[in-house]
Amino acid sequence: MAAAVAIPSITKRRHYFMDKPTSTSTQLRLRLERYIRMFAGIVIGVFLLWRVYNVIVLQQNFGADTWVRFGLSGLILGGMYALIAIGYTLVYGIMFMINFAHGEVMMLGAFGGFFTFEILRFIPAPTIANPDLNFLNAHPFLSVFLAFLVGIFISAMAGYFLERIAYRPLRKAPRLILLITAIGASIFLQNLAMLLFGPQRKNVVNPDILDRGAGWIVNVSGNDVLISYTGVFSLVLSTLLMIGLYILVQRTKLGRAMRAVASDKNTASLMGVDVDDVISKTFIISGALAGAAGVMWGIHMGLVNHYTGFLPGIKAFTAAVMGGIGNIPGAMLGGMLLGVVEAIGPAAVGIDFQLKDVIAFSILVLVLIVRPSGILGEKLSEEKL
Amino acid sequence: MRSSALDKGLRTGVIFGIVIVTMFLIGFTVTGAGLVGKIFGVSSSYSTPSLVYFSLFMILIGVWAGASASSRPLVEADTWKRALTAGTSAGAVSGLFSAVVGFIFGELIANKIDPRTYLPSVSPESIQLFLFNQSPLTGSLMLFAVLTASGLAAAALFFFLRNNDSVKSSARKASESVWGTIRSERVVGIAQNKYTRYAALLAFAAILIILPRTWGGYWNYVFGTVGIYIILGLGLNIITGWAGQLVIGYVAFFAVGAYTFALLTAPEPHHLMMNFWVALGLGVLAAGISGLLIGLPILNLRGDYLAIVTLGFAEIIRILLKSDLMTPYTAGPRGIRDIAGPSLFGKSFTSDVDFMYLIIIAVLVVTFLANRLQNSRTGKAWFAINLDETVARATGVNAFASKLLALSLSAAVAGLAGVLFASRNQFSGPDDHALMVSINVICLVIVGGIGNIPGVFLGAFALKGLPEILRETENYRLLIFGVLLIVMMRLRPEGFLPARRPELEKAAVQNPLGEEA
Repeated sequence: MAAAVAIPSITKRRHYFMDKPTSTSTQLRLRLERYIRMFAGIVIGVFLLWRVYNVIVLQQNFGADTWVRFGLSGLILGGMYALIAIGYTLVYGIMFMINFAHGEVMMLGAFGGFFTFEILRFIPAPTIANPDLNFLNAHPFLSVFLAFLVGIFISAMAGYFLERIAYRPLRKAPRLILLITAIGASIFLQNLAMLLFGPQRKNVVNPDILDRGAGWIVNVSGNDVLISYTGVFSLVLSTLLMIGLYILVQRTKLGRAMRAVASDKNTASLMGVDVDDVISKTFIISGALAGAAGVMWGIHMGLVNHYTGFLPGIKAFTAAVMGGIGNIPGAMLGGMLLGVVEAIGPAAVGIDFQLKDVIAFSILVLVLIVRPSGILGEKLSEEKL
Repeated sequence: MRSSALDKGLRTGVIFGIVIVTMFLIGFTVTGAGLVGKIFGVSSSYSTPSLVYFSLFMILIGVWAGASASSRPLVEADTWKRALTAGTSAGAVSGLFSAVVGFIFGELIANKIDPRTYLPSVSPESIQLFLFNQSPLTGSLMLFAVLTASGLAAAALFFFLRNNDSVKSSARKASESVWGTIRSERVVGIAQNKYTRYAALLAFAAILIILPRTWGGYWNYVFGTVGIYIILGLGLNIITGWAGQLVIGYVAFFAVGAYTFALLTAPEPHHLMMNFWVALGLGVLAAGISGLLIGLPILNLRGDYLAIVTLGFAEIIRILLKSDLMTPYTAGPRGIRDIAGPSLFGKSFTSDVDFMYLIIIAVLVVTFLANRLQNSRTGKAWFAINLDETVARATGVNAFASKLLALSLSAAVAGLAGVLFASRNQFSGPDDHALMVSINVICLVIVGGIGNIPGVFLGAFALKGLPEILRETENYRLLIFGVLLIVMMRLRPEGFLPARRPELEKAAVQNPLGEEA
């Protein structure tokens, strides 16, 4: 009985020491730092708002139709970023590592979709009405389904083998070593794809009904806005996948095991969770989501090469940090937000469209200055910080 | 029950088979054969290498497969049967992979289908070579036979070398005699003699003075680049090797230095035409300040963020330099021309020999400073942070300030390298500052030996000098870098020349948390 009483009192005392820094100068510095961060955030925010007000209200260079167009393409892009960002967040939550090669995993998925379409295009499926018909146009839904299946499979396998070959032997190594390995894997996969498939961009030929110019036409303030089928398809699919993942993580046994490993590996393994297995499956899931995003990228953007994954990968990481790394809804929100900001941003702030890639990186830096834990992230524990 | 020898052989065979097939698909079989030819002194850079060299290349791979499959087992007895089974099965499986792929592509070519539409590296010549200039069936059978036989031979050979007493004892004797001579009192005495050291230093200085004059322009250019990368590596070593914070976008500081210098000295776009030495100082200063500003908001967070933010910063700088927005200030994608060279007392030194001297002097100065820093109080603070930041803080190290100092110092060194680079090329464009530069620098620091000054030299010579000699591998350089990074991290994370720290620190590295086993 006495022991049972003693344990809480010890933990209580430890908490007392850990939560409150005893030195007043440290406290002062921390408070000062918080004020400086807040001040910087307010200054930058006011400046941006003033700039946006200037461009949208005073100058009125663009009509409402343009904003709708930007917003739509932002949402579509954001769906893909969100899918990739989930991969970063899942892996980060479990292993505290930035899987730098994640963008390359997505690129492999994009190639998987591209090659599926190319193969299906060469399979003839003649009908009486149209003797030149190929399989791709004869069974467009099946073809798209197959493309996603192949892309997701390739990316999931890439994620699995990446973990098995490169990361697993380093489970106990310092973080710097893991990060360098991930960078090495990224360079390797990117250059392997370049040497295998050549450096030039490849046109992804969609089935005719998913033609990139086709879509619903909506009238906004006197101008036609095209809502392309590929865009709606991508957005719907990414939303469905995100809902599916959320259910997987929250409701299934695997999801519970993943959350357990994320919060404490040692305790989870004591409770009978196979940690290695859960980590493998996490890499498979994040690879699969990245693969789906890659196939979508090919279908919607239409161009694929070895460099396809690099920038989306870094931007998705930005999205994950923005939403709060380690937090799944945060990654979804961050991805969507980043996509929209990137699409609307250059016009809204009134800068050159060449500079749209700068926006993502500036956001990353700003988030880290103003709120390092991200939008939905809680205060990170010492180990994760 | 399947025997473990067969199991290991099959597994090794699958790995080697995939490697051979990948090499074939990216066209490395031709390059590899060319490299083998180069060893025998045949320069065949741009023609298809002969069959003999290709066969040698394949035999080498087969021998490697056989040797690694039949290596000494951990648990079982090391028997002839086991070694031969493992070696032969490894060779056979890798041979099977290669033969199947070779046969498929041979048939494709025979049916006039060009695989280059989708796999641009697979040329008809490389397929011909892969099949020993035979028909698909004969060629793939030959491939299978060659790999199987070399796997078998390797297993037998290595088993013999491993278990034969006379070979073992003679090898031990040889190594003992070599090490004995090196460690004998007389040799050590000569090496530690003060005058021998002076003589060695003198000889080294003489070489440094004479070589740039006799080499000619090409080698001055190559070794000038190596020198600039040594400076970059020494700079990155401060923040990554000593303070333990990875900086991926290191090229950003290189670009800041180069562009500051270029804008201050070039006639266009601003016509400031400043003196070389003043501009050099300002370039280094600007890079250092940019490091300080980048580090200020993020160095309080954990290390990974620094890596990604500097990466973002490097991309921002590159995109800005290329954009129309900055063209009036930085000359945009065209780059800045006619950047000044060094001059002293009204006499300008711009020949390649003078630049080589300048770079050598810069390398020596930076090396000296780095060496002093390493042994200073600040250097020890960096080591402490690298080993365990929490403990370092508890013992009174101001972690934030130390990291900030490390970052701005290494940024300043990168700025110096940028100034030298821009001035030597008399040109500075946005594409000189692509992310590849940073990746090269990270690789050379890690391969050479992270946190070790001689390691940086070794890494720079190996990664920037060696590819100039092995020009065939040009296209595969980055791929090899990627593999090198992964393999080094797994097998030898401390690099080829690991840093030598005092024994106490070493013990702490091996067992950072005391008794947590």
